[in-house]
Amino acid sequence: MTAYIVRRLFATLPVMAVVALFVFFLLRFAPGDPAAIIAGEDATAEAIAAVRAKLGLDRPMVEQFFVWTLQLLQGDMGVSIFSNLAVTRLISQRLEPTVALTLSTLFVAVALAIPIGVVAAWKARKLIDRLVMGFAVLGFAMPVFVLAYVLIYFFAVQWQLLPVQGYKPISEGLWPFAESLILPSVALGVTYMALIARITRASMLEVLAQDYIRTANAKGLATDRVLLLHALKNAAVPIVTVIGIGIALLISGVVITETVFNIPGLGRLTVDAVLKRDYPVVQGLILVFAGAKVLVNLVIDISYAFLDPRIRY
Amino acid sequence: MSGNAAAILKVRDLHTQFNTLDGVVRAVDGVSFDVARGETLGIVGESGCGKSVTALSILRLIPPETGRIAQGSITFDGEELTALSEEAMKGLRGHRISMIFQEPMTSLNPVLTVGTQIAENVVRHLGVPWRAARERACEMLDLVRIADPRRRLDEYPHQLSGGMRQRVMIAMALSCDPQVLIADEPTTALDVTIQAQILQLMLELKEKTGTAIVLITHDLGVVAETTERVVVMYAGRKVEEAPVEALFAEPLHPYTRGLMRAIPRLDVEADAAGTRPRLQEIPGLVPRLTQPIVGCAFAARCGFATERCRTEPPPVVAAGAGHTVACWEVDRVRAGAP
Ligand SMILES: Nc1ncnc2c1ncn2[C@@H]1O[C@H](COP(=O)(O)OP(=O)(O)OP(=O)(O)O)[C@@H](O)[C@H]1O
Ligand code: SF4
Ligand SMILES: [Mg+2]
Repeated sequence: MTAYIVRRLFATLPVMAVVALFVFFLLRFAPGDPAAIIAGEDATAEAIAAVRAKLGLDRPMVEQFFVWTLQLLQGDMGVSIFSNLAVTRLISQRLEPTVALTLSTLFVAVALAIPIGVVAAWKARKLIDRLVMGFAVLGFAMPVFVLAYVLIYFFAVQWQLLPVQGYKPISEGLWPFAESLILPSVALGVTYMALIARITRASMLEVLAQDYIRTANAKGLATDRVLLLHALKNAAVPIVTVIGIGIALLISGVVITETVFNIPGLGRLTVDAVLKRDYPVVQGLILVFAGAKVLVNLVIDISYAFLDPRIRY
Repeated sequence: MSGNAAAILKVRDLHTQFNTLDGVVRAVDGVSFDVARGETLGIVGESGCGKSVTALSILRLIPPETGRIAQGSITFDGEELTALSEEAMKGLRGHRISMIFQEPMTSLNPVLTVGTQIAENVVRHLGVPWRAARERACEMLDLVRIADPRRRLDEYPHQLSGGMRQRVMIAMALSCDPQVLIADEPTTALDVTIQAQILQLMLELKEKTGTAIVLITHDLGVVAETTERVVVMYAGRKVEEAPVEALFAEPLHPYTRGLMRAIPRLDVEADAAGTRPRLQEIPGLVPRLTQPIVGCAFAARCGFATERCRTEPPPVVAAGAGHTVACWEVDRVRAGAP
């Protein structure tokens, strides 16, 4: 098992290398000369050349790449064109809200969706199943920002139960922190929840028709043991896969959610950096998001080996 | 055999039906038989005649969305199973009545260890702690002659061969000392040598534990070698019942006779192409179970059929000690025509 994990870990290296290569050329081949942008709108040709020399953009491409990679390996992602702050610092300042929002959404969605999907499969074609799946179709079709504004309107403006927007770091206390995350998590999580609930139901339905479930019933096992151990463990691989794909969706959803709820996270940073063509920051963010996805994939791959003994490792 | 005081299981006039798009399928249509304590009863018949549905009805495992026991009674140890609560029924399954299935490759859960799957049955029904249940599982694996049982406990089904998996199923089914073991074609999916071993094992274990076995098969050869009494089913009905010697000495239902002609003859030489002479199949088709059958279900395929056969259902008549048959023309069949 350890060997398998190590092997999977090494397998992520080429992926990260390709991402790094892509990010590097993004800046070099992007429309608009970064040196000109940095130098300002009415800079002279000499001023632009000076900036270019300072950034090393006048060096041969290969040399630039090695310097850039070397810096990257030391954790240096360059400096923001606008704020002159280190990109790593900008990103780490904005990391907490995004991680908190993603994890709480993930947790809420998975904790609700799996039981919902299991019950729907168990009571397939009965009233409860139809209700739940109706909700799932609705939830899946609902754009995040529409839901977000509806939630804000009722829970924050009309009933004043929760804050309208903003984010409280965990250092300001657990409840204010949690309170600031409830509406964004629900807004962000509903689509995701619908997706997981549907795949759970489908996967469970397939498993419940298998011979070994009939065997489990012929042993007189309690219903919860049949559903949660015998069936769910077999149904888990597709569910976990979709949870993984969903995290990718979440990361793009974060951009919208953070904007609507005015949360100072990576999503907002991304929007600002893209609008201002702050290439070093965009590069850093792409690397972080790609790294997060690679990490999620790794965790999913490893979990397969735990869930299904037939998977060779 | 009706009214047998020693019977542990009595099935009376069982009707099990399914709702399908084509209408109501009468999969079992008035079947009765007894299972005595410790005996081996064979149930034979062609594919689709309702053997598995009969077995699943006894355990009340008919999928409730589409199927139901429409009529009849099943008593086990004096208790009426058709009226029992689902909870009480769960207490019986795997404990006092067990079942093993035809498909050893798919009947075990692929993601749980063999030890867990046997031990959970013991924990569920005997209320012992997990540790003791695992010990019991180990003993059972030893009993079904799986080598190195302690190591096998932690293996998954995909690490075992088909024959071993069926041994595990048997170990599981017998782990709580049931009074009745229903084996639904337990060896059909296995190759011939393994088949013989598994049947032999089941018979030996039966001698040890006193469990009655209901052996479902479409193989009359298996019936001849392993059972004491036989029920022959056709189109959801029982057409003949007899002690095994009597049945083979003088089969009385034309359908049973047809089945016997269809037994593969291993003593007949294969021809140059490696194929044996084709089995003499019973001509004609099994009637559709979606329409109520008037008269005898076998009439369309029967060489003895008369006008009466097509309009009136044949009565069940006694034809010797423990030998009953549902046929109008027993005397002509006995005489050997056509
Ligand atoms: N769940 C179901 N829904 C509808 N019809 C069913 C269902 N289960 C069984 N049947 C029908 O009931 C009849 C009897 O089936 P059963 O499985 O008992 O046959 P069998 O004698 O066990 O045959 P085999 O030797 O092929 O196992 C068949 O016509 C089958 O199509
Ligand atoms: S009752 Fe008639 S049709 Fe049916 S088996 Fe006997 S002879 Fe044949
Ligand atoms: Mg069957």
